[in-house]
Amino acid sequence: MSLHPVLLVFGFGLITALATGLGALPFVFVRSLAPRAVAQANAVASGLMLGASFGLVAEGTQYGGWETLAGGVIGVAFILATEQLLQRQQEMTIGRVGGADARRMVLMMIVMTVHSFAEGVAVGVSFGGGTALALVIVIAIAVHNVPEGVAISAVLRPRGVSIGGCAGWSIVSSLPQPLMAVPAFLLVDTFRQVLPYGIGFAAGAMVFMVFQELLPEAYDQGGRPSVALTVTLTLFGMLVFQQYL
Amino acid sequence: MDPILLVLIYSSVAAAAAGVGALPYLWHPEPPARWVGWSNALAGGLMLGAAYSLMVADVGRIPPAGMVGVVLGMVFVNRLHAASGTSDMDLNRTDGTDPEYGYQVLLINAFHAGYEGVAIGVAFSVSVPFGVFMALAIAVHNVPEGMVLTSILLARKVRLLDAAGLAVATNASQVLMAIVVFALAGAAPGLLPWALGFAAGALVYLVMAELLPQCYRQAGHTSIALVTIVAMGIVILLRGGGA
Repeated sequence: MSLHPVLLVFGFGLITALATGLGALPFVFVRSLAPRAVAQANAVASGLMLGASFGLVAEGTQYGGWETLAGGVIGVAFILATEQLLQRQQEMTIGRVGGADARRMVLMMIVMTVHSFAEGVAVGVSFGGGTALALVIVIAIAVHNVPEGVAISAVLRPRGVSIGGCAGWSIVSSLPQPLMAVPAFLLVDTFRQVLPYGIGFAAGAMVFMVFQELLPEAYDQGGRPSVALTVTLTLFGMLVFQQYL
Repeated sequence: MDPILLVLIYSSVAAAAAGVGALPYLWHPEPPARWVGWSNALAGGLMLGAAYSLMVADVGRIPPAGMVGVVLGMVFVNRLHAASGTSDMDLNRTDGTDPEYGYQVLLINAFHAGYEGVAIGVAFSVSVPFGVFMALAIAVHNVPEGMVLTSILLARKVRLLDAAGLAVATNASQVLMAIVVFALAGAAPGLLPWALGFAAGALVYLVMAELLPQCYRQAGHTSIALVTIVAMGIVILLRGGGA
């Protein structure tokens, strides 16, 4: 290929971002606001995000345990601060959705978008480490992004967002990947040092969002055993998915 | 020392730790509901960290039989608790005195201890240091769990010393299961991935179905989330990320 490597990295990053949109597909037939549907959707998102975080932590600690931990603490603090800001916007509405639902949707988008920055750095650094496995890495990350799209759609769809909207917002949440992949590729050594912080940040923010927002709502709206079955299954499903693909 | 003796000693230490949960009541006979919520969140976070170490840190990647084990563990807990009428009970109700509830609470604590025993036995089969780590993590987990049980028993006019004794007694199943699983995995190593998955699936299911849900009614969402994530982080940090 005669493409400039920077363009190549950007293009591959873009492909992985577009893959996130595929995550909306399973929700074509889901449009109800029934409490049990919301509970199950929250449970799916929780399991996927916990599983993804387990994988991230395992990766981050290879670069540095304490750095990953520090990143995680910053991630939790970031979510707390963001929530403070969002809570001041009492009148916030998105379409016909207002109140806690609107806040949850915005928070989900923020968490998943911010976590894509860390993933973008991971893409760029792995390219910089030798492009032999580049295509494998791109396919792996594109595939990993699909369940992330599922998690986002699981939060947006039951609150009345269209399928196209879910796909679009899922892709938007992944756009930081190509944007971060390029500088990380060009400055591998610098970014490799930042990577464990970024990974810890992403994991901390996602896990905190699960415990503070998604799980309590799932328990409010659905039976505990059914929520727990879904969370457990999706958590381990995500882990296996990451480990084998 | 004979490894099975180590399993016996460490799982007994873990079981005895449940009695430590009675200590705070010496100074504070009626702790606020928030404390009970935080105790359960602490227990839940430690357990999730333990599940992480079972499936990520110490095995590299989940073997296919492990995934089947996860489903088996999760379904087993779900079915057993449904069959014994304990699946939708409030695990930390400190009001009311109906005898049925008291009996169920002891039963479910014994169930929980059994799954934790499987985790300890499995971890010892992987390696002795991992077994010691798991037993100590479960021991710490048993303290807040013992605290919740003590607070239920005290509300039912059980004496403090008896409550502590009952908390330890319900954990006898932990010692039993740890030794049985360790012996089985030693006799038939092919069982190990299944048992690993079973333990991890059971632990995560317990946290999601029984430890976390009521916490949110007893303390604020933010404080519960913080306690859970810190407990989980400590276990993961101590074990090292691995993989």
